[in-house]
Amino acid sequence: MKINAALTAALLLAAGGIAHAQQAAAPAPSWQQGMSGDQSTSTLHPLAGLVTGRPASELQLGKLKVPPGFKVEVFADGIPDARAIAIGDKGTVFVGNRNQSNVYAIVSNGGKREAKVILKGLNSPNGVLFNKGTLYVAERERILRYDGIENNLDNPPAPKVVIDGLPQQPGHFWKTMAMGPDGKIYFNIGSPGNIVLPGYIQASISRVDPDTGKFEVVATGVRNSVGMDFDPRSKKLWFSSNARDWLGDEGPADILSMVKYKGEEHGYPYCHQGDMADPIYGKLRSCKEFAAPVHKLGPHIAPLGMRFYTGSMFPAEYKNNIFLAQHGSWNRTVKQGYNVIRVVVDPKGRVIKSEPFLEGFLTDEKADPPMWGRPVDVQQMKDGSLLVSDDYNGVVYRVSYSK
Amino acid sequence: MRARLQFQPQAGERKTAAGAIALAAVFAAALFALAMPSAVLAADIKAGEQKAQVCAACHGPGGKSANPMYPILAGQPAQFTSTALFEFREGKRKNAQMSPMAANLSNADLNDLAAYFAAQPAPPPLRQTTPANVAAGRDLTVKNACIACHGAKLLGQQQMPRIAGQFQDYLRAQLTGFKAGTRADMDGTMSSAAQGLSPQDIDVLADYLSGLPTQ
Ligand code: HEC
Ligand code: HEC
Repeated sequence: MKINAALTAALLLAAGGIAHAQQAAAPAPSWQQGMSGDQSTSTLHPLAGLVTGRPASELQLGKLKVPPGFKVEVFADGIPDARAIAIGDKGTVFVGNRNQSNVYAIVSNGGKREAKVILKGLNSPNGVLFNKGTLYVAERERILRYDGIENNLDNPPAPKVVIDGLPQQPGHFWKTMAMGPDGKIYFNIGSPGNIVLPGYIQASISRVDPDTGKFEVVATGVRNSVGMDFDPRSKKLWFSSNARDWLGDEGPADILSMVKYKGEEHGYPYCHQGDMADPIYGKLRSCKEFAAPVHKLGPHIAPLGMRFYTGSMFPAEYKNNIFLAQHGSWNRTVKQGYNVIRVVVDPKGRVIKSEPFLEGFLTDEKADPPMWGRPVDVQQMKDGSLLVSDDYNGVVYRVSYSK
Repeated sequence: MRARLQFQPQAGERKTAAGAIALAAVFAAALFALAMPSAVLAADIKAGEQKAQVCAACHGPGGKSANPMYPILAGQPAQFTSTALFEFREGKRKNAQMSPMAANLSNADLNDLAAYFAAQPAPPPLRQTTPANVAAGRDLTVKNACIACHGAKLLGQQQMPRIAGQFQDYLRAQLTGFKAGTRADMDGTMSSAAQGLSPQDIDVLADYLSGLPTQ
């Protein structure tokens, strides 16, 4: 990431800054922003994946745990920085990148499964979404569409632009997408820093009509949502979101929430987890003014991809449950997360229970690094099995069930 | 044992490849005659040693360069070295001498080379920090959170290089490059960390870091 003067200026404007860019000191790096003076000797730092990925033969698969009757295996390796997953009509599995610049397709080649790069040179193509023959790719500042891509995996068509010119920002620039029942693409625009006043389309979930390009903000005050899906029963949008850092190990909690109406405000940067006023911005607005989260997931869990389960492979009680991938902490002295959880919710938007589903990536909560793998996204295959991506090892796992 | 190795492996527990490499590095560096569980070794130090022969021409034997034109590779965390080689190979980081050296390396080469250099003890610093810059340098590394990422003693960990005891000119050039956006980095964190540094800060840091102990 390069931060040039123009970007700095844009940032200052976006952040509601009043200083002239020429005179302003460089802003604190987005991950570090909001760190207080007495945290200056902190040893907490962001984690990074292995750039080459790790072959399946070197993974500690025996450590992974799933409920009885379920089985977890490596679906494909060799996908360094594996992020969002999408599934094509013909069964192609597409995987995006955040720090690297490729989109992969996992295909079966004469009985052998292989992951190959189909798009390269993109700018943080974190989000991938497949709908009616088209692959959508969310880059850092735009969304592209590749029509008919499954017929041309070796020679993908030139993309068309769905939306361009999204905010340039140093933090939370990676995007995730969900297809709405209205045929619109829902996606996040994260907060540009850890704890700042966002610009008016930042810290939002927005939507764009892929045919007309019409853009609308759907929900605000969402610090950074890297997972969203529609409840097949209520057709309501659910999302996960990552809470601010540098307020200690115990809070605020990352959240799972639901959007009740267009324009709903979810609190950031004034109020976290529905009931915790921000030490800086909390004075400006009251928590009572905002939608409360449906569920507090826990502090520094880092919830990312989530999907409602609609398949028939898993036992009946899993129908319409949410699977949620948790990337795990960096900004916590005792680390947690690094798993996939199952959240049982009713159509009204209430949580009935939440429990671990796929665990065993965490090796030592106090070690650095504390884990050997980090779940990013979950995606249901046509046969009802569940794919899970891991950007630390560059691997996609498959969880299946049989009686 | 080097302070950067914070993996604290427990008996009988398999660790990450990075952990395994670092663990192997401890064993190798300390010349333990214990049998090493070979299954733990993802990357191959022996293979790395072979592959590293061509590197010695510039980076010195075992990566212990004594020529400030070529950075010291000995004792760098494996994840950093494989990342740096990856960036050269992919053309994100460019250098007329180094880029061709990385161009044809496979992923296995990257990891073997990284494991080998991680297992070489870093040489002691070749110079002393100007006394006036000791406290100022220390302050800058706290204020800018260098210690959060590069470790309390700046010996590096995981994807973060050891910057203690590296060549002064090299450190200055890299920091200037990060600030200007001409030195690529894997995820933008280091470029953002350099934005707040003035040219004077960079001079102080290069002087301070190059004189720090490497163990
Ligand atoms: C012809 C001289 C030359 C040879 C041979 C060479 N390098 Fe380099 N290498 C360089 C130079 C010069 C740099 C510094 C590049 C820069 O300033 O960004 C460098 C930088 C590096 C770095 C980055 C280190 C850091 O701290 O940023 C790594 C890692 C590296 N080389 C590994 C290797 C390996 C492994 C080999 C052998 C396969 C090798 N080099 C062979 C000249 C060489
Ligand atoms: C958020 C974590 C982070 C912080 C904070 C940070 N660094 Fe770094 N630094 C990195 C990473 C990661 C790299 C490797 C970048 C790459 O090559 O992809 C790096 C690379 C470097 C290098 C290049 C060394 C080499 O051998 O190539 C220098 C010098 C450096 N950092 C100095 C500093 C200084 C001085 C500070 C404080 C002002 C600092 N860093 C703060 C993460 C950080």
